[in-house]
Amino acid sequence: MEAVRISLGVGLVATLLSLPVALALAWFLERTRSRARDLVHTLVLMPLVLPPVVVGYLLLRLFSPRGWLGRALEGIGLPVAFHWLGAVVAAAVVGLPLFVMMISLAMKGVDPRLEIVSRSLGRSRWETFRRVTLPLAWPGILSGAAIAFARGLGEFGATVVLAGRIPGETETIPLAIYAELDSPGGETRIFSLVLASIALCLLCVLASRRLDRRHRMRLELER
Amino acid sequence: MKFEIEARVRRASGFTLVAAIDCEARSLGLVGPSGSGKSTLLDAIAGIEPGARVVLDGVDCSADPLEGRRVGYVTQDALLFPHLTVLQNLLYSPRAEDPGEVPAALGIPRLLDRMPRSLSAGERRRVALGRAILSRPRVLLLDEPFAGLDETRRREAMSWLHRIRARTDLPMVLVSHLGDEIVGLTDWTIRLEDGRVVDSGPSASVLRASETRIDNYLTGVVVGPGRVLVDGVDLAAVVPADASGGVRLACYAHDVLLAAEVPRGISARNVFPVRVSSVVRAGETFLVEVGKPALRALLTAEAVERLGLREGSEAVAVVKATSLVYLGPD
Repeated sequence: MEAVRISLGVGLVATLLSLPVALALAWFLERTRSRARDLVHTLVLMPLVLPPVVVGYLLLRLFSPRGWLGRALEGIGLPVAFHWLGAVVAAAVVGLPLFVMMISLAMKGVDPRLEIVSRSLGRSRWETFRRVTLPLAWPGILSGAAIAFARGLGEFGATVVLAGRIPGETETIPLAIYAELDSPGGETRIFSLVLASIALCLLCVLASRRLDRRHRMRLELER
Repeated sequence: MKFEIEARVRRASGFTLVAAIDCEARSLGLVGPSGSGKSTLLDAIAGIEPGARVVLDGVDCSADPLEGRRVGYVTQDALLFPHLTVLQNLLYSPRAEDPGEVPAALGIPRLLDRMPRSLSAGERRRVALGRAILSRPRVLLLDEPFAGLDETRRREAMSWLHRIRARTDLPMVLVSHLGDEIVGLTDWTIRLEDGRVVDSGPSASVLRASETRIDNYLTGVVVGPGRVLVDGVDLAAVVPADASGGVRLACYAHDVLLAAEVPRGISARNVFPVRVSSVVRAGETFLVEVGKPALRALLTAEAVERLGLREGSEAVAVVKATSLVYLGPD
């Protein structure tokens, strides 16, 4: 069950790390009229459609001790490639498109005229985001986080390339299942891992649905 | 307030607004059919629609962003923040420190702890108005603030705004298609059509025949069953049996009759001498203002001529008790 613990840790940290990035990207896509939006939108969607192994390879180039980011991070004592942090980065990057899409959807539901009123009352763009957009979109954002977390739990391709399969450190549920396929008598262990995987994902989806309903209920109250 | 505005807005739909306004008014009215550009012009003044030159009382605020323009922007959807209480909504602006007399002046002091969803449509408009006033704006921008309310609620909300107007000297710009809002609250009005200014002048003079439903708002003190003292005149009105103290009443201008002498043998119970303070053309009719109490009567040109009504002339006002409608406590 070591793999379940690692998966939960990786998923949780990946979701927390990607939250501010996903919020900023969703705000940029939903609330600005910048010309760069199309380009950013396309780039955000790439990890969703690219083969995860390709994503993993690109991340490896970036984060390996010979890559510029990897060297910098290793300099401050944060090795990524073939470390626990690598699994986190892989899960965060692959989960990001879904996360951004879910937050965008949550922000779309917030009447932009409320933000206009907030600014006309003297609150800056940032204050308006903090006091109006964020609290109103919050249940929708959490609903997105639950989905991004579930996606992170199951990350395989990018994880195996960037973080490798190190039992007790980077061996998440899918990696452990893959390993057990070859080992004699692994079927019972596979069965319990599969069960754990289904249970966790089901919980996430249920939580997400519930939060989403709360989000919509909250927004219906506007009128 | 002196309004100097030059707006040039092109919408993706092909609609263009080209308007130049230069006038001095305590309150400015904007009228016109829907799609004529009234709201777009208001948005340009607020800074929501960028690029307009806006000079208020000689101060150029064209470059000020929305949050620095100090305009109290109120729309027909009250747009209260649904996650905040009424009090938190009222004090939302960083410039709002203390609700002071505003909740009492708007009749909402008992709603302060409620959430917006539990308020009626009329109450929401009043909270939105209070929120805008408490942000200490230089000018109130009101975009059909009472649209969508049923007639009773609308008259009630109007009378609250009248009270606020009487207590503060806040300049305002009001978008409306209703004569009583325009005549009752503004002194200068701009008429827009197809994104162009087609008329501009004293408010009543800009009205058209279809827009001359005009309301009178009165405040008085109950002095007996069905009797209210307004400006020293004892009037018979339809007030609830348990009403006492200060009350607010309303009466349409087309329900106020004027006569040359005291008529005899009529059912109307309120007959009192008045002096004409102004006669203004309103569409195809005339709006005659009299005092005291201050009332507006809507008359045809023929009637004005027959009675020889002009500023300073004497007349007798006739108002049925059933035309004086009770709106609520003052």
